[in-house]
Amino acid sequence: MVSLPRSLLQLEKPYDITIMLCELITNNTHNNNIALYKCYNANKVFYRKAAFSHWGNKVIENEKKGYEWFYNDSETLIETRLKKGYFYELDIPQFKGRKFQSESIISGNEETIEMLIDFYKDRWSAKDVFAIHGDLALCNFIIDKMNIKLVDWEHFHCSDKEFFGYDIINMLFILIYHESKRTFSLNKRNRDFLRKCYIQLIEGVGNSNKILEKPFQNSKDYLLKFKYRFLINTNINKKFVLSDSPLSVLEHFDSIVTK
Amino acid sequence: MLAPQHNYTNLSSAAGLGLIGLNENDIAVDYGCMLFDSFVYVSRLCRKIVGIIPSSGKLKTFQNRIVKEDVKNYDLVNANYNEQHFNEVFDCVIINSFLEQLIIEIKHGKTIFFDSKIRDKKKDNSSEKIRTQFLETVCNGLRPGGKLYLSYSNKLRIRTLLLFVKLSIESFFTAFSLKKALSFISLVKAVYLFSYYLLSQEGLEKLLKANGFIDIEKYAVFPNHVHPLKIIPLSKLDECSYEPVQHLYGEGSLRRISAGIKRRVDRIVFRKFKLFGLSPSFIITARKAL
Repeated sequence: MVSLPRSLLQLEKPYDITIMLCELITNNTHNNNIALYKCYNANKVFYRKAAFSHWGNKVIENEKKGYEWFYNDSETLIETRLKKGYFYELDIPQFKGRKFQSESIISGNEETIEMLIDFYKDRWSAKDVFAIHGDLALCNFIIDKMNIKLVDWEHFHCSDKEFFGYDIINMLFILIYHESKRTFSLNKRNRDFLRKCYIQLIEGVGNSNKILEKPFQNSKDYLLKFKYRFLINTNINKKFVLSDSPLSVLEHFDSIVTK
Repeated sequence: MLAPQHNYTNLSSAAGLGLIGLNENDIAVDYGCMLFDSFVYVSRLCRKIVGIIPSSGKLKTFQNRIVKEDVKNYDLVNANYNEQHFNEVFDCVIINSFLEQLIIEIKHGKTIFFDSKIRDKKKDNSSEKIRTQFLETVCNGLRPGGKLYLSYSNKLRIRTLLLFVKLSIESFFTAFSLKKALSFISLVKAVYLFSYYLLSQEGLEKLLKANGFIDIEKYAVFPNHVHPLKIIPLSKLDECSYEPVQHLYGEGSLRRISAGIKRRVDRIVFRKFKLFGLSPSFIITARKAL
């Protein structure tokens, strides 16, 4: 028979603790050491990111910084709560609005993409400190009329303003990847649309910009040169399609948009 | 006192424990210590964890691994489950591979519910009570409102049933007599009850309720409870969308083909027909009634 000290085991506890109903949505994606839960607490639904290592703690803390940077003047930030225990947890409110599949394509989303480029230009230009989201994709936007929310800030980092446009180019490349079913072959309509997006993006951008002269090649260079800033805990080629794409493909799309 | 942050060990295979919300003042007990990451994870988040390991060989190996992880807030106890009679109460009980434990009880004839002879001898109203000694012990060791976490594999359940049938048949024929032959009906009944209470979701819930647990939540776990990637609460199926998940090992073309087939089958079974009773693993969480 085993007996433990009573003083250690008997603690005063409130009896109203309930087990919250949760769904595990993803776990350890790209070895990020983080689990994402959807939590149902009474009538309230929210998302929780929980770390399972100290690497995960770093990523969650970074994500919180991303939310602070993006939502620093809104109520959303107040609802985003970071709990620093041995392993960190970040609670994120559930945003209402239109959501997009991770394998979204260009066709059928043209209006939204143009709207998001405008949104990026306005929002990013208005910030005192320039930053990179790091994983901007259609599936990370939640759009409720003109109210645009952006989630998944794990790869957030501050950067130089010369790299303005990186996030949008990364998003366009992901769309190309899915639109072409990984063949990188697009029809004329899509190619024309890409060029339109590029013109929209470069409008008003200064000559010192280090991305937009050869947008796809320069974005890949940025990603590889500063990969430590993205807090990647796996082979970067497995995480970002841009980093794994051959030079010929990137040159091809650069020529399409800049011709 | 919680361990200092000194390493980067990834414990994400313990993601299932995120369902029960561990607190830093909690004291937990892990019956069997079947999953090392779970034990370490709980030790990181709780004030203390007690591990009960029946095998002394396994205990030694387990202890060596714990030392490497610099876990200090733990006690390991080398004893059979049924020999535990804690006077103290725990905030949380963790049981992985729960059904294996019931088999041990059945083998040693300690499970009141499944021993029809004991029930017959009692001849009182309590004979209809659904109980297992193990679950009763678990419940007694929990403080009111304390949390129970059970994880088990669906395959294990089928194996467990087969093992139970084998044990029952063996014991039936080892000392054959006319009296035993007459009690054949009892054997069939025991197999039926076992399959009902342990193999059906409804039956298992009844068993837990009968042992003093409330707020029982059942979860389907994919691709397994050892390294879960997706956990779906069965009470929220309407709000959850299932996408096939699997661990990919190797990159051979045969593996890719079989993974592709499995994805398609999973989509049909779980997304279209929502047959979550066929999930590869399950987790059950519950609380002890106040």
